[in-house]
Amino acid sequence: MAAPSFDAIVVGSGITGGWAAKELCERGLKTLVLEAGRPIDPARDYVEHVPPWQMKFRGFGDRKALERDQFIQLHCYACNEYSGKFFVNDRENPYTFDPDKPFHWIRGRQVGGKSIMWGRQVYRWSDLDFEANARDGFGVDWPIRYADIAPWYDYVERFIGVSGERLGLPQLPDGQFLPPMALNCAEQVVRDGVAKRFAPERIVTIGRVAILTAPHRGRPACHYCGPCERGCITHSYFNSIGVTLPAARATGRLTLRPYSVVHSVIYDGQRDRAADVRVIDAQTRQPLEFRARVVFLCASTLESTRILLNSKTTRFPTGLADSSGELGRNLMDHTMGGGARGVIPGMEDRTVHGHRPNGIYVPRFRNVKAPHAEFLRGYGFQGGGGRAGWGRAAGQPGFGVELKRALHAEGPWGFSFYGFGECLPRSTNYVELDPVTVDAWGIPALRIHCAWSDNERKLLHDMSVTAAEMLDAAGAKDITPFVDDNPPGLTIHEMGTARMGRDPKTAVLNAHNQCHDVKNLFVTDGACMASSANQNPSITYMALTARAAAYAVDAMKRNEL
Amino acid sequence: MNRRDLLRSLATAIAIPAISGLPADPSFALGRRAHRRARAGGLQVLDPHQGETVATIAEMIIPATDTPGARAAEVHRFIDLLLAEWAPDDDRRQFLEGLADVDARARAASAPDFLTATEAQRAAILTALDAEAQERRKAQRDAPPHFFERMKFLTVYGYCTSEVGATAELHYEVIPGSYDACTELGRWRAAPGDF
Repeated sequence: MAAPSFDAIVVGSGITGGWAAKELCERGLKTLVLEAGRPIDPARDYVEHVPPWQMKFRGFGDRKALERDQFIQLHCYACNEYSGKFFVNDRENPYTFDPDKPFHWIRGRQVGGKSIMWGRQVYRWSDLDFEANARDGFGVDWPIRYADIAPWYDYVERFIGVSGERLGLPQLPDGQFLPPMALNCAEQVVRDGVAKRFAPERIVTIGRVAILTAPHRGRPACHYCGPCERGCITHSYFNSIGVTLPAARATGRLTLRPYSVVHSVIYDGQRDRAADVRVIDAQTRQPLEFRARVVFLCASTLESTRILLNSKTTRFPTGLADSSGELGRNLMDHTMGGGARGVIPGMEDRTVHGHRPNGIYVPRFRNVKAPHAEFLRGYGFQGGGGRAGWGRAAGQPGFGVELKRALHAEGPWGFSFYGFGECLPRSTNYVELDPVTVDAWGIPALRIHCAWSDNERKLLHDMSVTAAEMLDAAGAKDITPFVDDNPPGLTIHEMGTARMGRDPKTAVLNAHNQCHDVKNLFVTDGACMASSANQNPSITYMALTARAAAYAVDAMKRNEL
Repeated sequence: MNRRDLLRSLATAIAIPAISGLPADPSFALGRRAHRRARAGGLQVLDPHQGETVATIAEMIIPATDTPGARAAEVHRFIDLLLAEWAPDDDRRQFLEGLADVDARARAASAPDFLTATEAQRAAILTALDAEAQERRKAQRDAPPHFFERMKFLTVYGYCTSEVGATAELHYEVIPGSYDACTELGRWRAAPGDF
């Protein structure tokens, strides 16, 4: 029996899968979206307004269940009693790593993918980033420049809604912004103190974030309840369930199939193209096949690469579209956790009301104009200020009426800077199929080899120094620099392993996220990245996906695909 | 950030194994008892005396004032749940030893136990425990937490996350509706992001 046939197949329904689905459907293609996980019904599954007393462990989480089923996922702050259900079961989804090189692979398998509990921070790249590999020789040169992607940043931002402050910085281009959220009392003090001593190099601004500060395309503005990672019934932050997938569905051309675990892409050697997508139904365990003229892998960085590795043929013995030998190589993640915290004196009669699900941002200032003697590339800071709330009382001396009153006595204003640094692309950080381990559906698991290099460690150290300097400039007390030792993966900005590049001999994908080797196969999630920059990557994935979809449809119209 | 900080300190407090000279046997007995009680619909780990002791200490930590206190919030039930289904065996044992020690201190003050001690005796016991807990925390930040530090954390957490505590005391509102970035200190209003 012939496989059910579509114009396009998109693997994954998260940040990039949703965009691919929207663009391909709107451009006229009958599109099948294959999602490995379950469907999500916001009315049933979102829990941002469930009060703590309705949770069995009051938000503590079921420790025993977490340690048994989510022993990797629990490292992510958002994998808690409320939103833990949006993270995978680690027993069903194993992977392996060298004991001395831990990698925390944080995953979401459901319609919407990780876009449900993503961090929502969105920062454009600039040519400082797209030219980085060519400048210092790590990795291969990006086949695109800022001018190629800028209109697609515009396009994506206008659709999803991004709030932020325009700064006019060359290294962090402005976007199509809704009004910025406000800096709180402590953050204003830090902004002013930093500006006084460090302008124009170091700037404290409000985070640029895919959260609405004004009604936008039928979605209401944020109501500031706080925990976006538990879902948002008003769709006031961007995720694919509330924004891109409905747009795709509105065309009448979308078929969304949950519980569809993609096993591999079947290569037709005679026609030199991707023919079918092999699926295992997660519920029935039945193998299925679907056919399309064009296939978009949007399954997340490492899942897309895993599918290609598992799709090897006699022509591509190491993995589909891997004539370069680069598939699986150059895995990156942002190095996270250098910074400093301190106390901002005064303003004890002031507070905030509402929970702003956003913090501050300090755009990159290292290696922007003058090269730094110690390290390549740079980092940005996130973080913010606030006063400790009711939890603080538990650590105070005393009990009784006095302690009860202390539940309302907010602590002094605290502030912390938390750095996110660029990771160099290096071929020694790579993934391969594990020869033994398979997942719950019998598909070979990944073996991940990834470790930080000296350059990333130097960035972390420098973060702690410059963060402390900025707190000092702001008049902070009790300044505590720190360097957290986070393993790669935990930043959940894993990227690379099927990089873009001009030369088919050294890159898997071309300038349009199209496989050099297999023309009707595109990879538009984080796997495509040739370098990591230091900005949160999702907006770049979205822009590249929309751009690739437009290119693919045009090529199909010209009968090139 | 508040919730996360508290959770972290609390998780640390609970996850650090107690240094205990007791043999492992009692935890097995506890498990059986827990099972029996769960079926009966009562407390799972704490026996009636222990349950009442926890409820009494919790109420002394957060008493009823113009708003309800820890007893009305049934903090002892929350603590019993964590002891039964959350805490590692060593931590559960250490907590129960701490409770037994509270009675021992009452006996040292010539009372039959903590519950029958006078109000002044009870207050003196908690004051001493609180001072010891603060001392231990100050002396060595990584030291296993003192029984009373755990008790206080659990009481504050259990109270603030209860319907009574969150609504009557913290004025929980689901939808703040706006973000006031630098406003006058007023009545505390908790939101989902606080938990």
